[in-house]
Amino acid sequence: LQFFGIFIYIFNLFSLFLCKADGPPDVKATLQYLMTLFPRKLFNDSLPQIVFKHQLYSLHSDKTLVDKQVNELRDKGELLMFQLGFGSDAFGLVFSEDYRTKVLAMEDGRSTLGTVEKFLDKVLPGCSDLSFSKDKMLKHFLFTDSEITQLVKSGVLTVRDAGSWWLSIPNSGRFTKYFIQGRKAVLGMVKKSKYNEILKNDLQERRTTSHVKLDIKYHIHDIIGAELVECIQTTSGTLLRFVDT
Amino acid sequence: MLSFITARQIGLDPPVRLRRAESARRVLSLELNHDREVERIHGNGINTIDIEVIEGRYMLSGGSDGVIVIYDLENNSRKLQYTCRAVCTVGRSSRHVHRFSVETVQWYPHDTGMFVSSSFDKTMKVWDTETLKPAEVFQFEGNVYCHHMSPIARKHSLIAVGTKDPKVQLCDLKSGSRIHILQGHRGEVLSVRWSPRYEHILATASADSRVRVWDVRRASGSLFTLDQQNGDQSKTSTETVNTAHDGRVNGLCFTHDGLYLLTTGTDDRMRLWNSSTGENTLVNYGKVVNESRKGVKLTVSQGCSPEFVFVPCGSSVMVYALHTGEMITTLRGHYNNVDCCEFHPDYQELYSGGKDCNILAWVPVLRGPDTEDEETAKVKAGASAAVNPAFEDAWSSDED
Repeated sequence: LQFFGIFIYIFNLFSLFLCKADGPPDVKATLQYLMTLFPRKLFNDSLPQIVFKHQLYSLHSDKTLVDKQVNELRDKGELLMFQLGFGSDAFGLVFSEDYRTKVLAMEDGRSTLGTVEKFLDKVLPGCSDLSFSKDKMLKHFLFTDSEITQLVKSGVLTVRDAGSWWLSIPNSGRFTKYFIQGRKAVLGMVKKSKYNEILKNDLQERRTTSHVKLDIKYHIHDIIGAELVECIQTTSGTLLRFVDT
Repeated sequence: MLSFITARQIGLDPPVRLRRAESARRVLSLELNHDREVERIHGNGINTIDIEVIEGRYMLSGGSDGVIVIYDLENNSRKLQYTCRAVCTVGRSSRHVHRFSVETVQWYPHDTGMFVSSSFDKTMKVWDTETLKPAEVFQFEGNVYCHHMSPIARKHSLIAVGTKDPKVQLCDLKSGSRIHILQGHRGEVLSVRWSPRYEHILATASADSRVRVWDVRRASGSLFTLDQQNGDQSKTSTETVNTAHDGRVNGLCFTHDGLYLLTTGTDDRMRLWNSSTGENTLVNYGKVVNESRKGVKLTVSQGCSPEFVFVPCGSSVMVYALHTGEMITTLRGHYNNVDCCEFHPDYQELYSGGKDCNILAWVPVLRGPDTEDEETAKVKAGASAAVNPAFEDAWSSDED
């Protein structure tokens, strides 16, 4: 609970400097702030907090430095990156400890627990790949075919192609569905506004329809970072203008 | 600025540092200047422009109507207001004009007596500038998207041609032969460029999402293909493994020293590659809007301390810092899509041409007079009685 207070402080700090921050970007702190926007109760606390890599671009202006720091965190083993299946550029980021705790909590009592534990202990710490080929699983990590089937069943691996699998977050299908729905709805709100533009503060205050199940601030960081809206600085704050492509 | 000059004077800095810093400052202050215009000759969009390297005085432009115009960029009129006049034109009335749109024009790298143009009428013509008649015509089977002659070549005079055919053709200027082909691409070749560092290295970009780098002396295939994941096969879906972009690659540009290669693709991304190893430097420029079905003609600044990339995006030209990926500014001024841009290295000016039939000149803003000390300014003002007291600055920071 004391972390909550720290997050409120960081939240206030960032809400003052959104869209452009000076100095070398502290990606880890930004990630922690963005993780607080993820709705844990919506998924009954079964999913780890997921943030998108491009949401970081909405808070820091130097994308190359952000990418570099994310890769450093991944190499240290603190952060995991996932290819979530829509758009080749949408990478999901999860802290490794969060992922571990949630996956093990979900597997508790199931028959696949042993294999999943083995996978988490052997594969994740050393290897920061997003996908695994059959060769690698069988020869390098010494998993058997039936163990691979168990991993796919538990949701830790999803099929990518004949003989290769993506690393994935179990039960994240609902999250992906709500996210795509919500993104479409928020973009629709910007598009329907007069002149296809709306002040960011106004958008944050707007009442969201039932289609938007995640926090609207989460979606706003997403559409700014993915450059689906143009961010223009005005005297009354940041203006978001829909980009027609 | 004064500190740079002093450092150069006493020998703290090498002379080139002052030059580079001032060039960069000039590029950062590029804007449209109503004192400088380029005469409007084209009746249809402008697809390509090229400034000759020897004097930097003459500019070639090729348009969608097949017309080719040569402009004189030098200002001999002693006046600030200057229009770059057309020196000569290969117009629609000429017997030898291209039948369809001219896609690429390039001056002969060693003098302005000759230039080469290639067009959608499936021909590439080598023109004599004096008589404006083609000295040689190369015929191809498909639309010619681009061609390039090596700017530094001494041992060969090959023109690399990219057409609808996946094979890259090399035409020899000296002998007129076209038997040398480079095989490897599986889609139409949208852009070709010779390296400005090694005269035998050629880069080609194709609609099959791949960029290949060739050494033309080698009999077997390309040296390497650019891979956006740097060999990490796990990051993307299996279709996009070993590709430079997730869509058609339509823009190629080497930096002036030839060490880096820039590519743009229809996946709205621009990537910077190390040209000797083919490694993706992972500089993130963000979304670089690219909807072009043909080639995109981007250009890089020369002689500036942080180098800049100029990319035509929609109806504006975006300026990015080369190595950090930061977007510096957007140059807005065209009324329609911008198709090409070219940097003049001696004056740090940018010329851009587009579908609105205009060539716009982006000129660096002149540095304003430095603020001198208050005392000397006041003395000067008192001395010249021409200053109307109504315009005198009566504001003073001291209350007493």
